[in-house]
Amino acid sequence: MSSDYGFQQLVLLNSAGYERAELPLDESVSLIAPNNTGKTSLINALQYLLIIDKRHLDFGAHDKDKARRFYFPSNSSYILLEVTLPESGSVVLGCVGKGVSHDYNYFAYQGPLHIEEYRLDNGKLVTQPQLLEQLAHHGRTASFYSSADFAEMVYGGARRRGQTSSEFTVFRLENRKDANAYRQVLTRTLRLDKLSSGEVKRHLLQIFSRQLPDSVVDFKQEWDKAFAEVNQDREQYRAAHNQQTLIDELERQQDERLATRGRIIARRPLIDDGLQRWQNHYQTQSESLEHQHQNLQKQEADLLQRDRDQTRRQSELNQQLAALKKNEQRCDELENRFTLIHDRSQLEQQLASATEERDRQIALLTNAHGQSAVATDHQLRREEQELSALRKEQETLSDNLYLTLKQHLSEEQLSVLNRGLNRQLLTLSPGDYQLESQQLLQWLQDMPEDWFELPGLNLSVANQAPQYEQRSAEEIAQLIEDCQGRLRQLQEQKAASREMESQKKRKAELEQEVKSLEKDLEQFDELTQLQKSRPDRLKEMEVARQELAEIDQAQTQASAQQQTLRDQIQELINKRQALDTAHQEIDRIRQNRGDSDDQFNWLSDLPHTPWVGDTELPLDQLAQTLRDYQRDCYQLKDLDRDLHHRRITLHSSGLTKFQYAPNPEEEIRLMVEFRHHLAREAEALEKKARSAVVTVTASLRDLRGNLQSFENAMHEFNRLISRRKLSDLKVFRIQPVHESHLVEAIDLLIQTSEKVESGESFELFNQTSVLDDRQLDQARQLLIDEGSARHGLKVADLFRLTFELGKENQAIESFDDIDSAASNGTVLMAKLVTGLAMLHLMQDKTRNVQALCYLDEALALDAANQRSLIKTASEFGFALMFASPSPLITAHYCVPIQQMSNGMNHISRKHWQILQPLEAVKA
Amino acid sequence: MSNTSQFQQIANNLPNLALLFRWFNRGRHLNRIAEPVLWEELERNLDDYTAIFSALGSDLRLDGRGFAWFHQDDGSSNTNKATRQLALLFMVIFDTQADAGIPLMKFEHWRIDQTLLTTVFEQHQDLLEAEELDLSGLVSLMRTAENFGFARYDGGAWQLLPAVCRYLDHYEELASQVDQDEDVSWAGDQDDEDNSL
Ligand SMILES: Nc1ncnc2c1ncn2[C@@H]1O[C@H](COP(=O)(O)OP(=O)(O)OP(=O)(O)O)[C@@H](O)[C@H]1O
Ligand SMILES: [Mg+2]
Repeated sequence: MSSDYGFQQLVLLNSAGYERAELPLDESVSLIAPNNTGKTSLINALQYLLIIDKRHLDFGAHDKDKARRFYFPSNSSYILLEVTLPESGSVVLGCVGKGVSHDYNYFAYQGPLHIEEYRLDNGKLVTQPQLLEQLAHHGRTASFYSSADFAEMVYGGARRRGQTSSEFTVFRLENRKDANAYRQVLTRTLRLDKLSSGEVKRHLLQIFSRQLPDSVVDFKQEWDKAFAEVNQDREQYRAAHNQQTLIDELERQQDERLATRGRIIARRPLIDDGLQRWQNHYQTQSESLEHQHQNLQKQEADLLQRDRDQTRRQSELNQQLAALKKNEQRCDELENRFTLIHDRSQLEQQLASATEERDRQIALLTNAHGQSAVATDHQLRREEQELSALRKEQETLSDNLYLTLKQHLSEEQLSVLNRGLNRQLLTLSPGDYQLESQQLLQWLQDMPEDWFELPGLNLSVANQAPQYEQRSAEEIAQLIEDCQGRLRQLQEQKAASREMESQKKRKAELEQEVKSLEKDLEQFDELTQLQKSRPDRLKEMEVARQELAEIDQAQTQASAQQQTLRDQIQELINKRQALDTAHQEIDRIRQNRGDSDDQFNWLSDLPHTPWVGDTELPLDQLAQTLRDYQRDCYQLKDLDRDLHHRRITLHSSGLTKFQYAPNPEEEIRLMVEFRHHLAREAEALEKKARSAVVTVTASLRDLRGNLQSFENAMHEFNRLISRRKLSDLKVFRIQPVHESHLVEAIDLLIQTSEKVESGESFELFNQTSVLDDRQLDQARQLLIDEGSARHGLKVADLFRLTFELGKENQAIESFDDIDSAASNGTVLMAKLVTGLAMLHLMQDKTRNVQALCYLDEALALDAANQRSLIKTASEFGFALMFASPSPLITAHYCVPIQQMSNGMNHISRKHWQILQPLEAVKA
Repeated sequence: MSNTSQFQQIANNLPNLALLFRWFNRGRHLNRIAEPVLWEELERNLDDYTAIFSALGSDLRLDGRGFAWFHQDDGSSNTNKATRQLALLFMVIFDTQADAGIPLMKFEHWRIDQTLLTTVFEQHQDLLEAEELDLSGLVSLMRTAENFGFARYDGGAWQLLPAVCRYLDHYEELASQVDQDEDVSWAGDQDDEDNSL
């Protein structure tokens, strides 16, 4: 079974505790040594030559630095591998220590491996610095290589420095990218018991994925890419759908704006012209009105003047008339009074007689003389008093106080009293006084002479005449007679003076009568005069009345005229006001025109609806038109602003697809159009969504197809590893099991897309729209989540591997982990077979270079299985090496490790034992 | 190289180590479909995680059907009760679905909503009441299941997660035992169940 090409021998010099080791590799080997001797160390040495990449070296419990010291203790430590290659025959691949650093250097050359060539003349091993020279000395052209170059060479990497790549290529892989995987599996073949299920899966995938194109699907990216446009369109659709009322409003306003613009454009020149005409019109019109006004005012003033004159004349006439009336009345009055007098002479006669009588009376009075009547009356009253006193004296003459006192008192005493008392007192009658004479006497006696003493008052009466003098009755009668004579005289005198008074009165009466008659005469003359002027007067009155009536009439007419004038003036003022108001308004608008903005200058360049209205503008409509125009201008600005805001609102609510229209007007037009065609848009959207589903599932189909290819490849692989029976297993295979949630999601999407393609299921706008399908969305989300967790979905993510084992007559069991699947030995074999099959798959099967694999602790396998393994390994192109404390007879070579007295190990060609299998001998 | 520094080095490469440890240590299951990112990380560094967790005294188990958990030989009494109740919950749910002729293997697609729970409760009232569970107890048990990573709440209903396979496996095992030995009841097996979870 041994191949012509392949590993020949492994030689260790001064390395890993071996002074020298020569190990055959061209056939199966049973390496024999007690535990802890160096079996594993020996085979591990190959890692330096075959794995090369420091990162992948694996010495189990020993770390890499320690291993370096162990394998390269000096600069004459060597690990050498002789390989026979179809292209270049025998080649040597080597690794030499560099000394104290315990670093090492790769080298290679063509030619067989002769250990002697490494020995100097002095019998010592050549050191690294002299190695190339030494080899050259033996005709070997060796070179040192960096580990990278060395690895490239061994695995048939890039051509460098013109070398033929195959010169030292030990492993020719079908795909150079597999080198890494190959090396890793190879590492494991050196220690296959360490091969884990995860690694098996990883390597198998690596191997098979080479055959699967484009194996990573970034589902999210695919989906986003496919649906980007759909989603965008849908956003736009939704925005427009949600904002329909707003868009309708937008449309209405835009229509209005277009119409307004049209109106403004059409009216602007009319207005400009109208304004100019207005100026003229206003001037002429206001002048004419002013003129008319003045005229009317003058007329009014005239009218007023005339009225004033008439009024004055009226009052004149009235006065005149009143005077005449008074004369007339006087005339009537006098006529009444003198009704009985017919002639003036009548009156004259009466006057003459009255005058005569008066004059007589005056003469009468001039003759009268004497005392006045008053003086006579006075004298009369005095004489009467005298008379009464005398009569009283006459009565009391016989018994009065004086007389009484005279009886009681002395003359002197009486005299005192008389002088001291009132004159009349002493004439009191007895009933009128009471006298206590004793007392009085006493009192008077006590008084000095000629003194009248009263209690508290002393009066001298020396010079006083006595109050009373007692007359005689004759004397008294004489006296009374005298007094009576005087009284009679006086009464006669008084009667004479009374007659005189009435004469005087008569005279006054007569004088009065004369005067009255004189006046009557005068008035009679007046009457005569008045009667005479009466006809003239009546005529005069008639004339005055007539004139007054005329004036009245004229005034009535004038007031009507005045009213008319006033009305006319008011009318004029109104006209004037109207004109001014119109002018002011027009002027105000003109000063403040709404179309002063820049945009109105190029308004006709903007879209607009042409206006079909009057092409002429009569002046009387100017103000109104101007107002309308002004309103249009402001409205246009409002609309501009509103439309702008509406557009912005629509943007912010998501309708942005027309933002890049050449101008906002166009954008509005497109928005409106879009809104009108929403139903059609929805249809198109659905179509796009469908085709997006189809697009996005294309990559899933690839993935799904790749999974299928992988399953096919696994089927092949299982055929490969089942060729030979392993242990007591009837079935041993590695089975891919779908990650069902992923595969189902993929299948769902693929099915959906198929349905979509065939147009089978989706109806527009119903719940099952492709955009709203919940299951579909879940599937999508799942693939996105998994994809993003794994940086894209790969075939490997769609399944896991299970190891299926079945013994004779037992159900097949499946295991996630190969280690738990069966007994140690069986697992060991299973791993080995799996590993070798993988390496086999990777190798270029047209080139048969036998390599090595290694089974530590080989005693775990029984002989039959050992043989089966050896055969299997050989079929896959490997020589199998068993390591065990005791010899295995199934191997071709038996190689014991010699332990030398210096503690070093030694394996020499001489100790190799070659065994012939009994079966082979029998066969 | 010392163990500690090696540990450090590995731990540094595992940004979610603390998170995952807390996750599992609470008795919670990690499901691939529910936590694709964590799962991917765990899967990618499975050897490291297994090593570190075992150094911490925990036994990480990973089931190919897409879930992982810390295996415990003897759970605390708290876990026991929860586990027992969850076993009952899944049993009644599966039983109800089986009665309705729904294939059990597709349990991940079921929508476990109030309606379904009501049906479940009505059909197993005696059993549930024996465990002092009413309908709201059943609902809160679903929440417990959620906390242990057996279910997730999404879109108004619960969805069972692959970790439930652990119970399903167990039922199947028991069912095969029942086939052999007619007289094994659920109640009698509860202790077994506790030990296995
Ligand atoms: N990479 C290494 N670095 C340092 N020392 C090593 C290395 N590999 C092996 N050793 C040492 O070499 C000696 C031999 O070990 P090895 O594993 O080769 O023995 P073995 O013959 O395979 O034993 P067993 O039958 O028990 O597997 C041991 O002392 C070991 O410590
Ligand atoms: Mg060993």
